[in-house]
Parts: sequence; structure tokens; C-alpha cells
Amino acid sequence: MEKQVIQSVGFRNIFDEQGAPVGFQLKIRLPYYRGVYLSQIMQGNLVVDGQVYKKEQVIWRINGEDYTAEEMASDWNTHWHPLEPATLIVKKDGGLSQGFHDVEYGFCCSHSYFPPELEAAADPTKPELIFFPEFGHNINRRRMLIV
Amino acid sequence: MYHYARKGPKRGVSLYSYSAEFGLTKNLEECFEDVHDMGAHGIEILANTHIENYPYPPAEWVDKWFALLEKYELEPIEYGHWVDSHVLKFRELTTEESAEMLCRDIRLAHRLGFKIMRTKMPVISASLDPVENWRDIIKSALPLAERLGMIMCPEIHNPTNLKSEMVQNYVDFIKETGTKSFGLNIDFSVFRTEFSEGEWRDPGFVPNVPEDIIPLLPYVPCCHAKYFNVDDSFQETTIPYKKILSILIENNWDGYLLSEYEGADKYDQDYEVGQTLRRQHIMMKNILGY
Repeated sequence: MEKQVIQSVGFRNIFDEQGAPVGFQLKIRLPYYRGVYLSQIMQGNLVVDGQVYKKEQVIWRINGEDYTAEEMASDWNTHWHPLEPATLIVKKDGGLSQGFHDVEYGFCCSHSYFPPELEAAADPTKPELIFFPEFGHNINRRRMLIV
Repeated sequence: MYHYARKGPKRGVSLYSYSAEFGLTKNLEECFEDVHDMGAHGIEILANTHIENYPYPPAEWVDKWFALLEKYELEPIEYGHWVDSHVLKFRELTTEESAEMLCRDIRLAHRLGFKIMRTKMPVISASLDPVENWRDIIKSALPLAERLGMIMCPEIHNPTNLKSEMVQNYVDFIKETGTKSFGLNIDFSVFRTEFSEGEWRDPGFVPNVPEDIIPLLPYVPCCHAKYFNVDDSFQETTIPYKKILSILIENNWDGYLLSEYEGADKYDQDYEVGQTLRRQHIMMKNILGY
């Protein structure tokens, strides 16, 4: 597992049965020091080369199972472990073009042991108000290659 | 299972200390070996972090867990976990749902050989008060905990004071229920007297004197041996360790001191928390004599 939240391994196009590119995927790791239940995850936007994909357009794959943002919001039984990167899957006809792509993804987690005012202020679409290394940044960016 | 037979305060490590390295540059076995190097015999884990496929670890992982404890002469001392009743954004979990989550952790802690749990409940205020139904949640889990010989302990941490109403409420609860399955983990941050210039200090924090721990000791099965700065002559410059450990010895306290390093510098490039832990263990070994 790589130190950066956005992993370089796992970034590729995905194809249908005929071999046509129908989207892309990438992996992220949890920068928090403990695992979380899916309902604790707050999703922001995925931005690739300036194009914004809202949370409703991004499927999370955890332990081999796919979850929509709506499903995750009420799922407090499925646990995302900090050593198991999640795969983000996006539908996009033709996939991403060969070459460099600027990828940005925003997400954060609720903590339950924080004072409520601090919890309420969390916004995955914006940089965190106070940065704690053990929770990581809300917004992560990486430039990566599609072959 | 390995057992370290010594009575009195014993040295251990919370694997939380390795949070910047675990999974990236160190695996579970490497953390165990590092603790073994220090001559420490107890460990604390965070359930959600250190247990593979938590909360349902595969049987092979559990076998490996016990093999590693044996190999590195370590006892499983404290199981860190959270009662995450704020896990949903649109409603709080019911007492029954929270208790169910808690009981699942009690069973897993027991399966892994633990007797003590650091039970973190969601907080509802800036002074870290627990959820209002905490008594009901704990009471629902007491029969199971008592049957398995498990003790659930909230951690008492800066800015909370040992003489605060929160701590008194916990002590009253233990007295009222007469249970041996609820106690306290005292984090030594409550004794911190020195802060660096410019360092954030909670305005409500009043440090305790070491003697303040004495009336609580019957309810304290283990402590978080918090440290901030152990200098090159192996002295902790911010917490009166010598006095605290002397009090524990004089009062015949028997339990583990679990090192827990929270400094944000552990996330710096090439930082090895094991080297900081070793400083602290030299300090404690020099005071304890073992």
C-alpha cells in the first residue's frame, strides 16, 4: 500500500465484455488511524482533469462488494479497514484517454468522539478546518497515467 | 498463552503509537518485535485497525495472533474499541443497537485473550461528556462482560480532570451496580504540567497532582502511559513520572502501563516511533528497576 491516499496502483480504464472502455477506476486508502463503518464516510467530489463527478456517480467497492453513496449512508455494519484500499468506479463512455490525468478526490469521516460542533463542520468538498495528520486531508490530488 | 508473572506496574505499549507506520512500513509482527525489543510484555490494540477483517477476523488470523503473542512474549492487555452510536448522520443508534455493537466487541476481545477494554463512547460536548444513555448501554452489556471476566474502561484524558463530575459519575456507577466489569483507564496526560511555547492547551485543563489517582486505583486495571518529551538523559520533562510510578508501587497497584504516543511529529518523513518509545521505556525501566 502506498503512503499517498490516492494509490497509483489500480488506476485504469474498465471495459465491457466486448473490450470497449466504459469507465475507469482508482483506489484510495483510508488515511485515518482506525477503520470506519461505511455510514461514517462523507463523500465529496471526484474531479478528473476539471470534470466533476458527484458522489452519486461514484461507486465504492469494498471487500469486493459495490456500494452507492445512498447505500453507504445507512450502512453501519460494513467496515472499511485502513489496510484495504477502496476502489472507486466511475462510468464514462470511452474511458479516460491515454496519458496524464489530474485526479482529485474529497472525502472525510465522522469520528464520534469529537465535540459535536467540530463534527458538524466537516465538509468533504472543502479542505479541513484544522489539519490533524492522523485523519489525513479531506482533499487529495495526484497526477497519474493511463496506458 | 504467554503470561508475565510479575506483580506491580508492568511495561506495555499501545499499538496506536504506530499509527503513522502501521500498514505502510510496519506490519503487526514488526510492531510486536519492536515492543519485545523494549522488554515490554503487554500490548493494546485498536480493534478497528489491527484486527484483519474486523469485526469478523478469519480463524487463520486468530491462530496467527496467538502464535505472535507467544513468539514475542506478549500478553494481550487492552482492546481499544468504540461504541459508535453516532455512526449514522440522520439518527443516533438506539441503546439496543449500541449495546449490540458493544457485545460484539466484548466477544471478540474475549476470543483474542483480552480482559480489559478501552471503551470509547461518543461525546456530546466540548468537555467530552459521554452520550446521555451511556449507563443503559453499559448495563445492557454487563451480564456478558461479567460472564467473560471482561472490564470495560472509558479513558480519562486531558482536558478531563480526575476530580471532575464525569469521573465521579463513573465511580458512582461502579458503586451503584457493584460491578467488577466497569473501570477506568487513566491517561497520564491528566498529570501534564509543562507545555511548549505556542502549543495549544485546552483552556479548561487543570492538571491533576499524582496523588489524585490514589482513590481511583481500585477501579483502574491499566493506564495509558502518555508521554510528550523524553529528553536525551531519559527524563520525561512534562509529566512527573517518578512521583506517579512511586505512588502506584506504594499503593500495591498491579497492572500495565501502556505507552501511547500521540505526537503529530510521528507522521514526519522517516520518523520511527519505536525510537521514541524506547526512550520512554528506558525512563520507566530506570524507575521500576525492570
